[in-house]
Amino acid sequence: MTSPISANIRSLTLTLALAFLVTSIGAAYWTVLASDQLANDPFNPRLIAATNDRPRGAIVDRNGSPVATSEKAAAGFIRSYKDRTLAQVVGYASPKFGLSGVEAAYADSLIGQDPADPVSIWKARYLGDRAPAGQVLLGIDLKIQKAAADALGGRKGAIVALDPRTGAILASVSVPSYDANQVVDPSKQDAAFDQLSHSPDHALLNRVAQGLYPPGSIFKVVTGAAALENGFDPTKKLRVDDPYQADKSWGDYFVRSASHAHGLFDMSDGFRLSENIYFAQVGLQIGAAKLTDYAKRFGIGSTPNLDLPAAKGQLSDSGSIDRPTLLADTSYGQGELLVSPLQMALIYATIANGGVMPTAHYATEVRDADGHVVRQIAPGPQGQVISPNTAKTLTTMLVGAVSGPGAFAFGAKIPGVNVAGKTGTAENRPGEAPHGWFVGFAPAENPTVVVAVIVENTAEGGVTAAPLGGQVMRAALGK
Amino acid sequence: MIHAQAAVPLGRGRFTELSLLIWVATLAITGFVAVLATETSSFRPTAVVVPAVFLALMLSLHVFLVGIRFRGDQILLPIAAGLTAIGLVLVQRLASDLLLQQLSWSIIAAGAFAATIVVPRDLTALARFKWTWALLGLLLLIAPLLPVIGREINGARIWIKVGPGSIEPWEAVKILLVIFFAAYLEEYREVLSHAQRRIGPFPVPPVPYLVPIVAMWGIAMLVMVFEKDMGATVLFFGIFLAMLFLATGEAFYAIIGLGLLILGGIVAYQLFGHVQARVDTWLRPFDEDLRFGTGYQLVQGLYALANGGLIGVGLGNGMPDRIPIVWSDFVFDAFAEEAGLAGAIALLALYLVFLYRSPASRFPSLPTAARRL
Repeated sequence: MTSPISANIRSLTLTLALAFLVTSIGAAYWTVLASDQLANDPFNPRLIAATNDRPRGAIVDRNGSPVATSEKAAAGFIRSYKDRTLAQVVGYASPKFGLSGVEAAYADSLIGQDPADPVSIWKARYLGDRAPAGQVLLGIDLKIQKAAADALGGRKGAIVALDPRTGAILASVSVPSYDANQVVDPSKQDAAFDQLSHSPDHALLNRVAQGLYPPGSIFKVVTGAAALENGFDPTKKLRVDDPYQADKSWGDYFVRSASHAHGLFDMSDGFRLSENIYFAQVGLQIGAAKLTDYAKRFGIGSTPNLDLPAAKGQLSDSGSIDRPTLLADTSYGQGELLVSPLQMALIYATIANGGVMPTAHYATEVRDADGHVVRQIAPGPQGQVISPNTAKTLTTMLVGAVSGPGAFAFGAKIPGVNVAGKTGTAENRPGEAPHGWFVGFAPAENPTVVVAVIVENTAEGGVTAAPLGGQVMRAALGK
Repeated sequence: MIHAQAAVPLGRGRFTELSLLIWVATLAITGFVAVLATETSSFRPTAVVVPAVFLALMLSLHVFLVGIRFRGDQILLPIAAGLTAIGLVLVQRLASDLLLQQLSWSIIAAGAFAATIVVPRDLTALARFKWTWALLGLLLLIAPLLPVIGREINGARIWIKVGPGSIEPWEAVKILLVIFFAAYLEEYREVLSHAQRRIGPFPVPPVPYLVPIVAMWGIAMLVMVFEKDMGATVLFFGIFLAMLFLATGEAFYAIIGLGLLILGGIVAYQLFGHVQARVDTWLRPFDEDLRFGTGYQLVQGLYALANGGLIGVGLGNGMPDRIPIVWSDFVFDAFAEEAGLAGAIALLALYLVFLYRSPASRFPSLPTAARRL
């Protein structure tokens, strides 16, 4: 029996009605549900267009000194960037290439529509009455920033300084840098951007938060913390004989000592002389599970909660420590570990801050055009990572690593101030010079600044980096 | 198709239609005023002449229907007029150069509307020449592929050169094919529905009757591969499947057809760059390697939608000019930015009511159908 056409028409109509329903749901998703996320997408031209006929808000350092302002140009306004060393942090606001850095992360605040001020957003949207743009205040202190930039000079690498009590970033240098003014200059932008995006040195990359490096010996604090919190006695002496292997099953694989050491080491000696074989044995004693647990607690392998893009690094290629040689190598900061300078600064900030990890942030405040505070950016701490006692013990050992007899990190000493810190010489791919690290904080009794330094491909490794860390800490402490 | 009988009991006039047309007039006038108020470029007289002509046109259609004592549906004309009004407002907003052209087509459409009512409704004459229509349709369909007259614009080869400009023959093909399908299916629907054999619940008609499905599928694939127009492919084959279902009531044919379409799509995705680009762009327009390339237009469209929110930013306040070729490809997104989700759904609802109104004027109401389901 052929079904009557009228019934077929009804079925088809219902099918099509269903298709309309699906289309409406799609429209609802994009117009309402995905709206906020897309509105603040750094490539959304509406963010830039809001400043065609009026200045964009200024970005200033913690003392109010401008680092980015809008200047009147022939057609509309053009952004002017004052500090080349902050290029990757401040970013750019380009009609052609979109937004990056703080310009992107605080795009809505910089056009006078901060999320903490819904009335302004509403008025701009539905009444066309847009509030004049306010300011975004950074935690950066241009004085410390200059000290950090001068310290690193032309060497490739990165320096970050932050306040361990609040997580506010005080200085952030990534070399090589670039001139953001060229990216927003209509006559130079194409050539400049093309060159930057193809630069083999990755000048656009914020090495502080996005650069990933093997940590080397600066990672030993994580092994130390895991050991201390699991009943390991730091005064127990372990036998070190270079080269080392746990048993014959390692074949021709050995852990090497940087100083070809033979003798008895406790944990203080291990930190002071940066003894790989000592920490390899500690790692093997506490086991992969505990080391993995502490590395994760300290944020290795997870993206730091930062207001700018950040890399997450890794504990190992597979994400777990699945063999004894990898456990031994990871324990002294090699193996397959990858970390960003910011992650290391946060680990040392945790030790400096009595075991509580702060949340890092570049911006500290949004103000309206009249200078009133619209929003304080003060993210709470990430949580208690290690006990205050462990933090205290590690601090004492790190002070020894800077000023004890024969200490590797002596270059970071500051007269009259107790500095805690650790150098690292991170082995690289074969044939490439190692990276030199220093991470430390001061004053050791009541730390107000943490500094992480990495100098890429330097033959002397940590010895190069330590004095740079000292210079930055001195600037931060006003010494 | 419109042999519509009145669903609404009638007195002397068509008051429902008239009162709805007043709403359409309000919509058109507010729309043009809003766009003019925010326009930054210089004023052009067309901005006043066009809405005036449009309103006169709609009023005369209404008077015409009253004059001939037409007893058909009173809702279809206001909906069509409403959609035309929105169309004209958006053309004024997005590409005011094309406003007169848009108006000309509206006038032609109004003429066609009147003609279908006046001209004798015996469509069997059309059916008699069904193979002529099919052949003409096919010729027009492949015309863009021919050298000299065929044209490729923005990656799709669906235009033919006519005088100084170019036209999309596809628009005419749609109508020719609907006529052909209707005639063909009317003739063979008994055979197609009364399958001799069944495999499980599925009817299997004699092979000769499966040929049309496969042939249509083949043509659709050719359109996709050579004319590089995914939209036309799906629409062409979709119309065919919908009409096949109308004639036979066998959902199985539609399922076979959709299966073939998906299969062809998967194979074409593997083989042809333009198919791959289109699908990838649809699936993940925000990918780093797509958002500045093939996904650019789509991403700009999505930004526009997102800016729309619940009630839109108001006509003239959006930034549709950031979407490339917005007046042709992304009018819906431009409208949704300025009228919001509310406006977008209202627009879709107009189409839905239009669709529902056509069969509903002859057959039981939708609630009745829903109860039966």
